[in-house]
Amino acid sequence: MTATNRPLERIVICGGGLAGALTTAVLAHQLPPSLQIVWIETRATDADVFYGNLTAPTAYTFNLSADVSEPDLLSSTNTTFAWGTQFEAWGTACRSWVQCFHLPLPIVGGVLFHHYLTRFGIEELEPFLISAIAARRGVFAHPLQEGPPLLARAEYAYQFEPKSYVSAFVATPHMRRVERIQGDLADVELAGDAIVSLRLADGRSQSGDLFIDCTGPQARLLSRLGATLRGQRRLRALSSQRPAERLGPACRTIVAHDFGWQSTASLQRASSQLTVYAPEMESDALAAHGASPELTAEVMLGCRSDAWVGNCLGIGQALRVVEPLTHAPMLLLHRDIERLVSLVPLTTDMTVERREFNRQADEDYVHAEIFNRALFESLSFPDTPYWRAARAEPPHEKLANKLAQFARRGILVAFDLEPFNAEDWTILHFGMGRRPAGYDRVAERAPSTELRQQLAKMRQDIENLVRQMPSHHDYMTRLLDFLAHSNG
Amino acid sequence: MSGSNQIEKVCILGGGTAGWMTAAALSHKFKGLPLSIELIESEEIGTVGVGEATLPHIRAFNNTLNISEPTLMKETEATFKLGIEFCDWGRPGDRYIHPFGDFGPNVNGVPFYHFWLRLRARGDRSRLDEYSFPIMMAEAGRFRYPDPDFTKVTSTFRFAYQFDATRYARFLRKFSEANGVVRTEGKVVETIQHPETGFVQAVKLDRGDVVSADLFVDCSGFRGLLIEQALKTGYEDWTHWLPCDRAVAIPCETRGPLTPFTRATARSCGWQWRIPLQHRVGNGHVYCSAFMSQDEATEILLANLEGPPLAAPNHLRFTTGRRRMAWNKNVVAIGLSAGFLEPLESTSIYLIQEGITELIQLFPTKEFHPGDIEEYNRRMQLYFERVRDFLVLHYIANQREGELWRHFQNLTPPESLQEKLEAWLTRGYVIKYEFGAFLPPSWIAVLLGQNLFPRGYDRRADVPPEDLVVRKAAEVREEVRAAVASTPDQRTFIEQIGAASGSAPLVAQSAGTSPR
Repeated sequence: MTATNRPLERIVICGGGLAGALTTAVLAHQLPPSLQIVWIETRATDADVFYGNLTAPTAYTFNLSADVSEPDLLSSTNTTFAWGTQFEAWGTACRSWVQCFHLPLPIVGGVLFHHYLTRFGIEELEPFLISAIAARRGVFAHPLQEGPPLLARAEYAYQFEPKSYVSAFVATPHMRRVERIQGDLADVELAGDAIVSLRLADGRSQSGDLFIDCTGPQARLLSRLGATLRGQRRLRALSSQRPAERLGPACRTIVAHDFGWQSTASLQRASSQLTVYAPEMESDALAAHGASPELTAEVMLGCRSDAWVGNCLGIGQALRVVEPLTHAPMLLLHRDIERLVSLVPLTTDMTVERREFNRQADEDYVHAEIFNRALFESLSFPDTPYWRAARAEPPHEKLANKLAQFARRGILVAFDLEPFNAEDWTILHFGMGRRPAGYDRVAERAPSTELRQQLAKMRQDIENLVRQMPSHHDYMTRLLDFLAHSNG
Repeated sequence: MSGSNQIEKVCILGGGTAGWMTAAALSHKFKGLPLSIELIESEEIGTVGVGEATLPHIRAFNNTLNISEPTLMKETEATFKLGIEFCDWGRPGDRYIHPFGDFGPNVNGVPFYHFWLRLRARGDRSRLDEYSFPIMMAEAGRFRYPDPDFTKVTSTFRFAYQFDATRYARFLRKFSEANGVVRTEGKVVETIQHPETGFVQAVKLDRGDVVSADLFVDCSGFRGLLIEQALKTGYEDWTHWLPCDRAVAIPCETRGPLTPFTRATARSCGWQWRIPLQHRVGNGHVYCSAFMSQDEATEILLANLEGPPLAAPNHLRFTTGRRRMAWNKNVVAIGLSAGFLEPLESTSIYLIQEGITELIQLFPTKEFHPGDIEEYNRRMQLYFERVRDFLVLHYIANQREGELWRHFQNLTPPESLQEKLEAWLTRGYVIKYEFGAFLPPSWIAVLLGQNLFPRGYDRRADVPPEDLVVRKAAEVREEVRAAVASTPDQRTFIEQIGAASGSAPLVAQSAGTSPR
């Protein structure tokens, strides 16, 4: 081992807020005690509102990797359940659909489910999606293996508010091993393309072997190492919370406006409103938002040229900011942290880890971005700055391929290890009104009358089941009661 | 969808494994729909009978066709296959099994082998194999079906078959003909193409009849009668990475045990396969003609048979690589016409299968949309390249003497493989993909089996206290050992499920060897 290559000993995480807390909590739980972990908790950036109040369905498992269980999360924060996002007034055709989380739909006679909808000219997929129907009716129950089989096809995530959510991660016992430093970052001391130490506003200095940039869109460490932002669109957001006695639906709602869009998330005892808009139409957005916003933020959507430079890598918004129209921001954050954990370098030579981290981060960005970008295809949209800017760049060739293959015959093109799966794409296509011109001709083999009856029965069964499910409010109330009693 | 645009007629050219697998799958999938399938083959043209050993994917193929396993096994003299044993690949004297299954359970989301690497770094000398149920079962010559209960160690594997590919083709021929496939005896003497588009309209046979179709599937083997001779599609030559270009094959009498695995033994200028069937053993020697003559190669093969040969040696030539486009105009190449990769990891039938599956998924209409063709070719290219990288790994990870092996020691691998190797050697990290035959455990088996030990392992493996890891490891070993002990031997199991062919073992004729 040369003088320049020695065992990696100290990891320094820089940045308060969602990315910093989740990264620190997972590392604290997952890494051996021989590794020192230092967390510089700078003030959380307001840009955390761009994580969009909705986690990915991977949150349950991800949170366990930080030793945060669902009961802990629900009891100690204002987090609630989410079947997905309900889109309203999308495009000039004012489309409405629930972008829900769902396991694969049934395969009939070796053919994907949606081909039968095309064959029979059935316009909507939604009546066949238990999580979508449950979302619209405001009901919730855990999908369990041993429960009703129809419900077991559903998946769920959480509606959350960053500050409260973070508190569950900071409270884990593993955080005791972390050296926590509160303060503001003043400067980054470099030697070549490596960070030597971080200097804080109060004069303290923190050295380390590996630096993790969780400072949000500004990427205050990575940007010093020359990772430039390839940004395209500037967006602003306003955020407010309003008290609510009754818990709203297990679903986030997004309504399109000329200036951009507004989302409402139902939290415990509150609802959280987010208004996202193009800066050119600020007055319209402010008027629509109503009450004076508690938080405002402005970001440039886009991606850094490098996710990891020298001995510094970024997590979450420090790498890229994607619009929180879907659960992409949280999904990518989960994946960043999981990727980091599996690639924590062994020594200070981190060539291999850097290359692999960068490769996966790039792919994740492209694959998540095309999903978001697909929300702006195939329909007509208002001729206003927000909608023009969203469509300014032509779709990536991977998206063009996906759209063309689906449009012609309902074929789902997939690439390696995409963050969004085939169901996400199918639900999106149908929700936006994309209907394949043709279908798999093998679908013709199934006898028509019988299959129509089966489809009608499936819709009816979902209806019946949803009718028996408790409201999100009642379910949560009972669950929290139960948890309170079983803990004490 | 307008009916007039649908493909009404498919012509499959060639009746080897690829041809009849294609015919069986298409005729089953489109049964009851207005689509007729004609397969042209000639008794005079022999088939190569590629790949007598398969990968577990074959079972999905057979299941889709509702083929009964015992029936198939009886008809094809099949045995079970739990993996491949590689002898002398790292250093002469080394051996390892690449199993169809994982090594030990994941612990807190971390693959077990990282914990094994940790123990090893502290002096533990247990083999990783002892944590693999399929390896230990294979070494003991035993077999059972995987347990559906995922919590049990007996669920941690998949399996494939070793069978007579010629009989498999014959079996599928019966199946296809029962499904309405028309078989036409004949040799193609002329291809008729559209004067402007170049699409193949028909083929003329030696006896004068003309067969026209909307879609042609070229299963004509190495020569690629339509895809290459007619359409001049071009071939991407991979000889610089995989220079072996000849093989000599010969069946022999069974002398050794009925092993539930295939064996690949490294030789001075290539490698030799051993595939045990119920009634005989298939053998072959793949070699590089730049370093070895045909006579020498044949001599080595004959000197390394476990029993008397049952036929004359069969000589094959090939160029490793892939057709630039497996699908060109209205011709889809499946099998050797689409590309060739040596059968070191039993991928020939697997690649045929992927070719068929993707064709069914993207089954064209008469307009032959360029987007479909592009998508098919993109997918097939990925499958071929990923198999290629895995094969190259076996060669470059060698510590052997000899010109061929030194050539590989100095070879610059494809970039995709180079990155994989570096990630492994640095920290035992396996770069994953979603589309392709070989999952991380396959890579780990070969890498470790050929002495590429990583310098480090996942840091998470250092979290649990050492005594806990030691105890857990011992538990897994014991669980595997006990499971193997209660597993029947392969021949008993084959008999139990009614898959024994009952045919007497083949015996060489006393007056030397004669072609069958």
